[in-house]
Amino acid sequence: MHTISFKRTIKLNNTGCLGLIILLIIVILALAAPLFAKYDPHAYTGLIFQRPSAQFWMGTNDVGQDVWSNLLYGGRTSLIVGFGAATLGLLISVLIGCLAAFLGGIFDNVLMRLVDVILAIPPIVLILLIAAYLKPSMFILILLLSFFLWPSGARIVRAQVLLLKSSTHINAARTFGAGLFYLIWRHIIPEMGPILSVLLIQNARKAVFMEAGLSFLGVSDPAIISWGKMMQQALSFSYLDIWKWCLLPAGMALSLTITGLMLISFSLESVLNPRLQGRKDNDYVAGY
Amino acid sequence: MSMRSRIVNYIAALIIIILFAFILPRMMPGDPLQAIYGNEAFVAMTPEFKAELIQRFSLDKSLNQQLKAYVISLCHGDLGYSYYYNVPVMSVILSHLPWTILLVGLSLLLSFAIGLFLGVESGYRQGHFTDRFLLTCLTLLSGFPAFFVGILMLLFFGVSLGWAPLGGALDLYANKNSLELILDVLHHLLLPVASLVLAQTIVTYMYTRSSMVTTMGEKYIRTAKAKGCPDLAIRYRHAARNSLLPVVTSTGLGFASMISGVLLVEIIFSYPGMGTLLYSSLLNRDYPLLQGILLLMAVVILLVNFLIDLVYHILDPRISHAHN
Repeated sequence: MHTISFKRTIKLNNTGCLGLIILLIIVILALAAPLFAKYDPHAYTGLIFQRPSAQFWMGTNDVGQDVWSNLLYGGRTSLIVGFGAATLGLLISVLIGCLAAFLGGIFDNVLMRLVDVILAIPPIVLILLIAAYLKPSMFILILLLSFFLWPSGARIVRAQVLLLKSSTHINAARTFGAGLFYLIWRHIIPEMGPILSVLLIQNARKAVFMEAGLSFLGVSDPAIISWGKMMQQALSFSYLDIWKWCLLPAGMALSLTITGLMLISFSLESVLNPRLQGRKDNDYVAGY
Repeated sequence: MSMRSRIVNYIAALIIIILFAFILPRMMPGDPLQAIYGNEAFVAMTPEFKAELIQRFSLDKSLNQQLKAYVISLCHGDLGYSYYYNVPVMSVILSHLPWTILLVGLSLLLSFAIGLFLGVESGYRQGHFTDRFLLTCLTLLSGFPAFFVGILMLLFFGVSLGWAPLGGALDLYANKNSLELILDVLHHLLLPVASLVLAQTIVTYMYTRSSMVTTMGEKYIRTAKAKGCPDLAIRYRHAARNSLLPVVTSTGLGFASMISGVLLVEIIFSYPGMGTLLYSSLLNRDYPLLQGILLLMAVVILLVNFLIDLVYHILDPRISHAHN
């Protein structure tokens, strides 16, 4: 098996690095939220609608909660849902893509038809429909989002596996008696590393966006703090002068997260689309 | 993929959505009537009316017959009755739909035109300053969700500068002649359209640009350059026309995301369209209305995607020939 070097294929250009830095800062802030937040995000601080001050870095909201603490803990929601749904979606993509490519025949036809049908469903319609009735918890939301994330990935994985399947080292492994799941785990997945990481980032961007939209519409679990919900709550106080202080931080945080993910995914796009690659570093694709 | 299998996909997608719309309320714990109509409406119902509704939805019959009754009423255009508005769902939707069509239509048209123009200019000068500048700007801009762009615009142009109205679609109770009315409607459209266009232009732009870059590498472009064609003619008559095909697909992709964007943008600007209606139906648990809006949205999105497939096949006969 020839090894794929991540360093060689995944080259982040300047904007990609910027995206990575933005994302890392947000991840660190969200992970270490208790360190950076002075108040419990759910706690009533005694003062409502405060402007930003030394005591409340970003002011307080309509029920007297510290906006900065809310922002940090809301980031956790966005990241957990985003990367949870992205990872789950990717796992399903790999599983279905590999099965379709290896089993072939009727399995391939049925699975790919399923992919086409799900791709034809406008996600917003079905997600809103289900979310309105179920008021999804974080876990159900992740399941729901990943259901719409896997089909496009499965198609890409299938195409790659079809190429890999006929390569010599896979054939060699097969003649030594490697089983299907051994092949997928030890050969296919490591070789698709770069492509899978691009898919993960793209999934995460879509999931973060959808989570924010849903909680902005107020259809997610009311007990969870999230950026979308912070904006929804602030918007209902638009008659007060203070509302923008609750609204802007959440909106900026959301936009930064999405921009960060997008910058990374744009700069990695050449992995998915070899035609965008320069002639010099084409050997990765030629290796297939 | 052949046209026939695409049609099958769209029909299957619609069936799945209708099945979900049918099964979800009936799966909820408690009285299905309560889930179909929402708690508030359920409490207010008289026993006679309940009996009538049970009969109407065939709720006392088997699931099969319920489904049959549901599909038949859908085919008749009967989307149920909105308790909150006290009128049939269809008439609530029809009174809000024109505003959304206006908003979406104008934004689509503008974002398509702007994206196309910028994409052609950018792809023609691939790697040059203009290209890199446009690419960076639009990439950064597209990280901002349409509804947050809307909020920023509302704060800046509406609240701080006072250039645009804060919400609504037109000034009520003002006697205006038709010209003033049109100007007023456009004035109210300004910010919502601008935020949608800003968020949406990137889709058309990206497709046009990459398509232009590919086309510029073709030999006939070199020929045109060699025989001394004017710059503008090469850019638009030779290159842009041949780069249009992938752009058609992008409009299809853009349409679905435009619809989800418009729902949120309408809420920001309290624009009296489908988005605001959807939001109020969510807040008021007006489930018949919610279902009606979502089903209509599904049909429209599927239909538009189908039409775009059709146009694509007509524009590029190679696709249909490849399968025969």
